[in-house]
Amino acid sequence: MSESIFDTIKEGDEYTIEHSNFSRTDFVKYAGASGDFNPIHHDETFAKMSGNETVFGQGMLTAGMLSVVPSKWFGATSVKKFGVRFKTRLWPGDNVVFKGVVNKVYTDKDLVHVDLDLTAVNQKDEVLISGFATCRPWAP
Amino acid sequence: MFGPPVAVISPAGLPVERGKIHEFACSVYDDDPLYHDLDAAKAAGLPSVVAPVTFTSTQALFSDPMAEMNALGDLELNLMFILHGGQEYEFERPIFAGEVLTPHAGEIKVYTKKGRRGGLMKFVEIDSHFTDEKGEIVLRLKNTLIQTQGVVEK
Repeated sequence: MSESIFDTIKEGDEYTIEHSNFSRTDFVKYAGASGDFNPIHHDETFAKMSGNETVFGQGMLTAGMLSVVPSKWFGATSVKKFGVRFKTRLWPGDNVVFKGVVNKVYTDKDLVHVDLDLTAVNQKDEVLISGFATCRPWAP
Repeated sequence: MFGPPVAVISPAGLPVERGKIHEFACSVYDDDPLYHDLDAAKAAGLPSVVAPVTFTSTQALFSDPMAEMNALGDLELNLMFILHGGQEYEFERPIFAGEVLTPHAGEIKVYTKKGRRGGLMKFVEIDSHFTDEKGEIVLRLKNTLIQTQGVVEK
């Protein structure tokens, strides 16, 4: 087998993905893709009536984009565990840094496992969501 | 909340389809070829393209929303004050296009905690899992809902 990321990964290694200027269209695309049609995410009138300044992104959109960190870093079939806690909301215009940091590298059943701490942070340094993932090589 | 479904899919379950995977991966800005390119997936020895980590959120398109609302109603939750607190996934293996998954409800834990502003918060942890066509568990989920107001202490 060719050299894999699991051979060289070490504690403290980082990986980031940035996304700038989230748009209402991003929220609508995720609504259609996921089936989350809560109007608070696309209907300005409804969002304002519910006491919000404007529409805001689905928590699961931010979570889905955060899950790209472990899957892109270690491979689409490598994610064993992924979890998030929702902290604050994603607004149109936000710039977000999705980041993973290796917390622990260990061997379980002869396979290298990597535990990651994950965060999605906006331009005001507010944590939108925090999370974790465990990755390991997977072969069919 | 969002109107009754136009129709319900049959047989029931979550169809994992290549086109839906492409659409879903695009919506979370993931260009990994293993989600979009069937040839790349086959070259990697996989049966088809891979479902992204949070793909099972698409179950909302195939399940009966009224049944879900009723299940929440049974927990005496006030839907006006519910927040999605967290979501966790544990995969036995990756999920691939062409599969049909069956959702199963699991244990539900309810507890209250004092919030930072002194109000009572009600936490509801909902376990569930998906099985494949062989009946084997492929994915376990935990969904945490938080009711921030209107909690009556018993």
